[in-house]
Amino acid sequence: MHAMSSMPGHILVVEDDRRMADTLVSGLTNKGYQVTLARTGEEAFFVIHSTQPDLVLLDLTLPQRGGLEILAQIRAERLPTRVLILTSHNSVDDRVTGLNSGADDYLGKPFSFPELLARVSSLLRRLPSAPRSSSLQIADVHIDTKAHLVNRSGTPIDLTPREYDLLLYLLEHRNQAVSREMLAKDVWHETSRFTPIDNVIDVQMARLRRKVDDPFPTKLIHTLRGVGFILREPEQ
Amino acid sequence: MKHLRSTNIRTRLALWFVAILASILVIYISAVFVFQYVLLERQIFHDEIQDVETVEGLLYFNQSGSLQLEEKYHTHQQSRLLEDRLMEVRDLAGNVLYRADTLKGETLGGSSLPDEGVHSYNERSTMLADGTRVLLISHIHPVQGKPVLIRLGYSMAPLHDRMARFFLLLLLATPVALIAAGFISYSVARRALRPLASMALRAEQITVTNLHDRIVIENPDDELGHMARVLNHLLERLQQAFAQLQRFTADAAHELRTPLASIRSTGELTLQQNGSDSSYREAISGMLEEAVRLNQTIDGLLLLSKAEAVQADNGSTSFFLPELVHEILALLEVLIEERQITVLEERENAFHQPLVADRSLMRVALLNVLHNAVKFSPDRSILRILYGNIEREGHIFHRISIHDGGPGIAPGEHLRVFDRFFTSAVHQATAPRGSGLGLSIARLIIDRNGGRIYFEENVVSGAKCCIELPILTDSLPKIEGA
Repeated sequence: MHAMSSMPGHILVVEDDRRMADTLVSGLTNKGYQVTLARTGEEAFFVIHSTQPDLVLLDLTLPQRGGLEILAQIRAERLPTRVLILTSHNSVDDRVTGLNSGADDYLGKPFSFPELLARVSSLLRRLPSAPRSSSLQIADVHIDTKAHLVNRSGTPIDLTPREYDLLLYLLEHRNQAVSREMLAKDVWHETSRFTPIDNVIDVQMARLRRKVDDPFPTKLIHTLRGVGFILREPEQ
Repeated sequence: MKHLRSTNIRTRLALWFVAILASILVIYISAVFVFQYVLLERQIFHDEIQDVETVEGLLYFNQSGSLQLEEKYHTHQQSRLLEDRLMEVRDLAGNVLYRADTLKGETLGGSSLPDEGVHSYNERSTMLADGTRVLLISHIHPVQGKPVLIRLGYSMAPLHDRMARFFLLLLLATPVALIAAGFISYSVARRALRPLASMALRAEQITVTNLHDRIVIENPDDELGHMARVLNHLLERLQQAFAQLQRFTADAAHELRTPLASIRSTGELTLQQNGSDSSYREAISGMLEEAVRLNQTIDGLLLLSKAEAVQADNGSTSFFLPELVHEILALLEVLIEERQITVLEERENAFHQPLVADRSLMRVALLNVLHNAVKFSPDRSILRILYGNIEREGHIFHRISIHDGGPGIAPGEHLRVFDRFFTSAVHQATAPRGSGLGLSIARLIIDRNGGRIYFEENVVSGAKCCIELPILTDSLPKIEGA
């Protein structure tokens, strides 16, 4: 089992599209979260007031009451609930409106599920991410985060800054799939949604694997076709 | 007038014409009236002076010492007219010596005034006891050695009568003339504006289905003909834009359908076969890849519409082009290294003016072009980037050309590569597939910044993409990062 299941979390999913809602509920439940579903704004209000969820996944276009109205209400009542907006209105303006009205994060549809999971888990980590220890480890790979040094089974691995960032990111999301969108945004810091750098990411990943995986019998980095990449602990 | 505002132009033109004509007539008539009155009054005055001189010769004292007018005067035919003359003669002490019968015993002009008639004719207007206005002149003249004051006047009533008739005539004639002018100007205006009605009728019938129809131009040289030409040009541009939009929608639908079809058939086939776990995995992965492709196409379309709507000077900053190129090359570095491509940068001349544009959009444009060049470059080839300035139509442009060592662009496709969803008929097999929007996005962004992007046609090998961007020499905003 991985670390995430130990994390408590009650998530309210506010989504009117049945299929999308079902996918969200089952995906989050599988990851060990307690999930409640509300299909309308009214229902959402009821759940928010009766159970006080830790996180609300909020669709902005809802029947009856709009998502922004719910958000405004949550903020007006100073509830400790975190809010992640999920919407297909993807323009920068919508994003700014959403964040200005007090959302903690914003994810445009269609999003990759690994990215949603990453955002959810980082929002539920109440404290700003636990002070990173000076060394990280997965299997026989060690990272000295202070000196930016990496070795595997004692053999030093010489990485470029970009490769180091990539490996660190994979390690921080160990056992979770990481999509190319996440990498573009978090490792390459490409803000524009339309930057066709998928092949840049692929080539960079291939080079990292050449250094980290190729000389060793156990492979840690795996490609999930159509999803992205995953750094996975070898099965014992 | 207010409630007439809403009526049509020809009525308004006619009304304006009538109003202007009426005011001109009023001014003209008043001037003529005053002029005529003054003229006739002068004439009467003049007649009176002549009459005084005639009368002076006819006055005499009879034996009894009373003043008489020679009666033979009245027998003259032409003098009959003067019988309505009003006359009074006084001595210098003011005693009335003679009074014409026409005065019916009334006094003419009251008692004598000091110095009356001494120097001139003392023209004045006075009123008889019955209310008749009289133009009076006075003159001192010696009769048989004895000076007398002669007062002579004509009644103004006939003149006033005549002027009143004249005024009445004008009062009756003016409205008739104005009404006639109104009708004539209305019909002239209607005739002049008739082509407008037919143009409007024609334009009304033009809809999406017959955008190719044009307005009939009756006289190409007049204002309405010019208007019709302008409208026809507008229609032509609309038709082109509409055709482009239709083509684009069809292309977009095609581009979106292709991955959708692939997703659908993969799903259908996989469900029908009793496959293994790994074959399911394979199918789902393929479907996800197509979904990503779909998403990228939609993002590209959204970016196109964003670039289309971008306003000049909105979100513009100033930055240096080579610095932006280096940033992009750093992003693509891993590809360049992997393929062992050599990037050579050359500067033709000093290149230190910054560029003013939306940096993030310009970055997308340059990234698309450079990424394309890297994609098509064979291993161990050379990618040349040349910076320079050119002058065109009095403006200075930055020019950056990106010359790759790839297969180049097929003849006849130098312009079409910028079309949305363009895929080359020649290199299709070898070319890496993209969304087909990269270069059209680049062109749109560069066009919107007043620049130009094109592939040079006479290059020996590879493809050479040239981008020209205008340099604003004045009022530069602050330099980013400076």
